[in-house]
Amino acid sequence: MKAWRRVAAVARKDLLLEWRGRDAVLPAGSFGFAVLLVLGLVSGGGGKAAPSALWVSVLLAAVLAAGRGADREGEEGTREVLLLYPGSREDLFWGRWLALCVVLLVLAAGLWCAQVLLFDAPTRGAGVLILAGLLATAGLGAAGTLLAALVAHVRAGPLLMPLLFLPATVPVLLAGVRLSEAAASGAPAGPWWGVLVVFDLLFLLVGPALFELVVEG
Amino acid sequence: MRAFAVGGTAALLSVGLFLALWGSPPDAYQGEYVRIMYVHVPAALSAYGAAAVAFGAGALYLWRRDRRWDFVGRAGAELAALFSGLTLLTGMLWGKPVWGVWWAWDARLVTTAVLFLLYVGCLLVRDLADDPERGRRLSAAVAVLAFLDVPVVHYSVVWFRTLHQGPSISLQGVKLAPEFLLPLAVNAVAYLALLSVLLAERARLASLEGEG
Repeated sequence: MKAWRRVAAVARKDLLLEWRGRDAVLPAGSFGFAVLLVLGLVSGGGGKAAPSALWVSVLLAAVLAAGRGADREGEEGTREVLLLYPGSREDLFWGRWLALCVVLLVLAAGLWCAQVLLFDAPTRGAGVLILAGLLATAGLGAAGTLLAALVAHVRAGPLLMPLLFLPATVPVLLAGVRLSEAAASGAPAGPWWGVLVVFDLLFLLVGPALFELVVEG
Repeated sequence: MRAFAVGGTAALLSVGLFLALWGSPPDAYQGEYVRIMYVHVPAALSAYGAAAVAFGAGALYLWRRDRRWDFVGRAGAELAALFSGLTLLTGMLWGKPVWGVWWAWDARLVTTAVLFLLYVGCLLVRDLADDPERGRRLSAAVAVLAFLDVPVVHYSVVWFRTLHQGPSISLQGVKLAPEFLLPLAVNAVAYLALLSVLLAERARLASLEGEG
C-alpha cells in the first residue's frame, strides 16, 4: 500500500469514528463555547477582548479534541493493532494529523461564528483570519497529534496534556491574537506571520520524527 | 578529580559572591539591586546549558538507547527546571524594586516560564509513564521538544518589543562597564562550573540507583 493511501485510510478511520460518535467536536466545541462565555462575562464582552477570547477558546478546545483520538484507540484497544500494520509509523502521524486538522477547523469556524455574535466583533479582515486559522490549525494539529501520542501511556495523561500542549503552543495563541487585532484595526501584522510559519515548520518537521519514537511498543 | 572539581567550583562561587557583593559598585539607576543580576544572568545561562545537555542526551538516548545517555538527560532536565525556576525567581525579586512589579507580560518572561513548565512536564512524563523504559523514551522526546524554546527565550528581546533589556553582551560588542563585566563573567563561569558538577553528580546518582 502506498504511503498516501495509508495516510488517507488512518484519516478516514478517525473522521468516520468522529462523524458517527461526534465525541471530540461536540464536547470540545461546547467547552470552547463555555470558555468564550466565561471570558466574555469577566471582560465585559467588548470588541477589544474578542480576539483573545476566540484564540484562548480555540486553544483550550484543541487540547480536548487532540487527546480524543488517542483516548478512543486506548479504550477500544486498537492502538496496538494499528501499530502492527505494515508501513511507516510516520503515515500514522500524518493520517491522525489530517483528521485532527479537519476537527480543529470545524471547531475554529464554529467558535469564530459564536465570537462574532457574542462579542459583536467586526468581520473585517476575515481573509486574514482564515489564513491565520489555517496556519494555526496545521501547527496545532501537529503538536496535538504528537503530544496526544506521548501522554497516551502516561498515568494522569489527560492532566499532563494541557501542561505540555499549552506552553508549547503559546506562539500560536500570541500570533493568532495579534493577527486578529491587526486585521480588525487595519494595522500592520508585524512579525506574527513569520511566528506562525516557523512554528508550523518546526512541529511539522519534528512531529513525525518524534512520533515514531513515542509510539514504539 | 571529583574533589578537585567540587573544591574548584566552591572557590569560584566564593570569589563570584565576593565580587558581586563587594567588588561591584551600585548601578546609577538600579542602585544595589544590580547585584541580583550576578545570580540572575548566570542562572539563565546555566538553564540554557542544562537544556542543551538534556536535548543532546535525549536525542542520543532516542537514537542509541544507551542508559548512560538517559542518566545525563535526566540530570539535564532536572537542572534545566531548577535553573529556569531560579531565573524566574531572581528576575521577579529584581523586577519589583526596579520595574515596580513582580511580573510583567513580556516576551522574555513568558517564554522563560514556558521553558520552566516544559521541563516540569518532561520530569512528570518520566515519573508517570506506565513502564520505566517508556518513561525514559517519552521524557527524552519532551526534552528534545522543549529545547526548541531556548532560542525563542534568548532572541525574544530581539524579535519582540519587550520591557526586558536587550543582550548586553553580543557579537556586536559589550554594552557593560568593566566594573560590572568582571563580577558577571566570574559568576557566569562559577555557575557553569556548578552546573557541570551537579550534572555529573546527578547522573552518577541516577546510574547508582539504576533508575531512569
